[in-house]
Amino acid sequence: MSDLALPAARAPRRPDRGLVAALALLPLIFLVPLLIGDDFVFHVFITICLYGALATAWNIVGGFAGQLSLGHAIFYGIGAYTAGLLVPLGVSPWLGMLGGAAISAMVGVAIGLPCFRLRGPFFALATIAFLQVIRLLALHFTGLTGGAVGLMVPLQTGWEWMIFFERWPSLLIAFGLLLLTLGVTAWLRHARFGYYLVATREREPAAAAAGVDTLRVRLYAVALSAALTSMVGTFHGMYLTFIEPEAMFSLAFSVQIAMFALIGGIGTVMGPLLGTLLVVPLTELARGWLGASALGLHGFVYGTVLVLIVLFVPDGLVGLFRRAPKGSADAAEPAAPATVPATAREDIRREIGEPILVAEHLHKHFGGLAVTQDVSLSLRQGEVLGIIGPNGAGKTTLFNQLSGFLAPESGIVRIRVEGEGFIRPATPHAFARAGVGRTFQIVQPFAAMTVLENIMIGAFHHHPGRAAAREKALETAHRMGLWAQRDVEARSLTIGGLKRLEIARVMAMEPRILLLDEVMAGLNQTDVQRAIRLVESIRDSGVSIIAIEHVMQAIMALSDRVVVLNSGRVIAEGRPQEVVRDPVVVEAYLGEDFVHAHSA
Amino acid sequence: METFVQLVLNGLMLGGLFAIISVGLTLIFGIIRLVNFAHGELLMVGMYLTWLGTSQLGLHPYVLAPPLVLVLFVIGVLIQRFILQPLLDARDAHVQIFATVGLSTALINLALLVFGADLYATPSSGVRDSLTFGPFRILIGQLVMFVCGIVVVGALHLFMERTYLGRAIRATAQHRAAAQLMGVDVKRIYIITFGIGAACVGLAAALVAPIYPASPTVGTYFVLTAFVVVVLGGMGSLHGAFIGALLIGLVDSLSAFYIAPDLKEVVIFGLFILILLFRPTGLFGLGRGSE
Repeated sequence: MSDLALPAARAPRRPDRGLVAALALLPLIFLVPLLIGDDFVFHVFITICLYGALATAWNIVGGFAGQLSLGHAIFYGIGAYTAGLLVPLGVSPWLGMLGGAAISAMVGVAIGLPCFRLRGPFFALATIAFLQVIRLLALHFTGLTGGAVGLMVPLQTGWEWMIFFERWPSLLIAFGLLLLTLGVTAWLRHARFGYYLVATREREPAAAAAGVDTLRVRLYAVALSAALTSMVGTFHGMYLTFIEPEAMFSLAFSVQIAMFALIGGIGTVMGPLLGTLLVVPLTELARGWLGASALGLHGFVYGTVLVLIVLFVPDGLVGLFRRAPKGSADAAEPAAPATVPATAREDIRREIGEPILVAEHLHKHFGGLAVTQDVSLSLRQGEVLGIIGPNGAGKTTLFNQLSGFLAPESGIVRIRVEGEGFIRPATPHAFARAGVGRTFQIVQPFAAMTVLENIMIGAFHHHPGRAAAREKALETAHRMGLWAQRDVEARSLTIGGLKRLEIARVMAMEPRILLLDEVMAGLNQTDVQRAIRLVESIRDSGVSIIAIEHVMQAIMALSDRVVVLNSGRVIAEGRPQEVVRDPVVVEAYLGEDFVHAHSA
Repeated sequence: METFVQLVLNGLMLGGLFAIISVGLTLIFGIIRLVNFAHGELLMVGMYLTWLGTSQLGLHPYVLAPPLVLVLFVIGVLIQRFILQPLLDARDAHVQIFATVGLSTALINLALLVFGADLYATPSSGVRDSLTFGPFRILIGQLVMFVCGIVVVGALHLFMERTYLGRAIRATAQHRAAAQLMGVDVKRIYIITFGIGAACVGLAAALVAPIYPASPTVGTYFVLTAFVVVVLGGMGSLHGAFIGALLIGLVDSLSAFYIAPDLKEVVIFGLFILILLFRPTGLFGLGRGSE
């Protein structure tokens, strides 16, 4: 590794071979049927475009947001019905498409709002339940939907009505919808929004601590996914010219959409289309050969392929195209990682200013256990405040209240913001926006993202543009000794690396107030020394710090002031040298007997 | 009043049917922590096998129960061993769901390929005759299911509480790693648990087939209700599943009469959404519903 200089990393990464291949193939989806001109080929390729677009839209929620929806037919059906009901009134389906998309986005948000706290299978079950309710209601209210009999779309042809005698205009629209969903996904993959979405999927608390409004990000995702799905639904309704609840709000159809994405590879731009390209022609051709006797064949193939993919290529077809992870973790570290810039101005005496974070009379119970009892403390501008206390004293719980992760039952936390005076944030991301950054005692990496992307999540806080955030992240990675591992997935870091990543992410946020939760625990002596120097350099750059720490050496060296917690109460406060000699503190740590034995 | 009592009776009997289908599901749910989306399809396979046994061999459906229990136990073991076990340590917890969803889709469509979309009614063999108690009537088959539901729940409960294997299963459910450290062969426990869960469906299939005709999607119909029952009862709770099944049976029967027959499922799924949102641990859950 000789390319230690930062600029080397700025060179654009070579695009994936898979992506290039996929982009080269994309126009073929449109051109092949035009060249062959056969009706069956047209049908197959229109089906590919439709399912490809649906799976790509699903992937925004199912892949990027990591919420396994099996109810996406809701939006597909809403799209078809909105346009289908408006056409007899003389409204063009193009307007119906937009109307349906808007309704679907709202329905998606209405379903997502209560359901996004459910995890994994429970979310999937809830989406199925919503789909069933909507399907049954659609069947019940026959006046509106035509019930089980269905609705025929009036056969008016031409671009205005989205219904054609020839095949190619339908193909053009379907292909356009496919390009639209792919384009949206490609944008999302590289925008701050997409990074936030993946970070939320990987580790919600850490994303919130980095200033991401996790619920809002997910709701945007579901609105986007629902709107796109609905648009495809509108077109498909016009293409079929027949709409019925059983087909439009079908569970099997929802599952199928998800399957295409899973087979191709979720959370990637091209995966869902790739999955569609594999299985749709396979089954359509087989159906062409076997005719009507092949009832159920396509589903059998989809299901079997999915099981095989899950067993043998768990990342989906896209996984086949991916090269081995670049840049292994064993690469040599740069010469001077995690050290203080030599320019640290030691001669300048730090000034400790006015309070910047104030907690007053915090109370918190877990069941019958009082974990925080009347705790008040304040952090002043430029100060390092150490918090010590035996295990179970309530230190981390206090931190969670100081960063919005837990709401105190009574008492308030105030943060002073430049030009605004004191404010009272309520949620983790609001605290982050007020300039509070925190680390977690148990490290919370975004496992599937690279080290650099992890740091970028923090950097986005002040640098909304991807390039600027990347710049900031590269600089932070270099400073934190993570340069060599910058393109490695976070899951493959060692515990020391993860701890540095945890700090790197929060430093990239450029917080004014930093809450450090046992960042030194488990480090060896050399690393502790390094970490102490690092915290000093952070402090000297003007950040006010509260540190929970068990490593006394670090507390003594760094703290301007120490607060001692025991059983949820503040039992002592003062300069570090005084506090460690306080008999109350010694007793809390070592027990009454020890104090008596030594005073005797 | 008579109508109401009859509706309650119908509801309880229907609850017995839901119970016997849900017991296996809650077992797999609670112990392997797996949402088995293919559970209904196991029932469907069992119902087709019952139809084959009765119509082709001329056997009474109840006679087929023991062999079906065995066959489905084996199928369950094979699924866990060769499809789900390799995914046990997958880095994405969703992967197992994908596998069961894929399996479910494959099985539904396999049935469609083999049997077509027609309904296959197993001969009723006297099971659909009704017993009368004064003004009230109950189908014999439903009563048998109700009693079998109680017996299965009771037997499984005793098995879990009293035997070494049952204790090992419960230990594994509570903490997989800790059980492993105590010398429990977790993979074997999972295989056995899935086998037992599937075997319960084997019994259910033999009892249900004479009352409901088999079709490729019959499993989907029953399993969605079974999920409601399992979540209502609290995942992994056997008696929870039984009581949940009776409650859902009652809701089904009463709402079909007092609201509208085609809206009873709206009531059930609406209830399901409310439970998921406000009490995901169910009535008797262990407090880990959202895990």
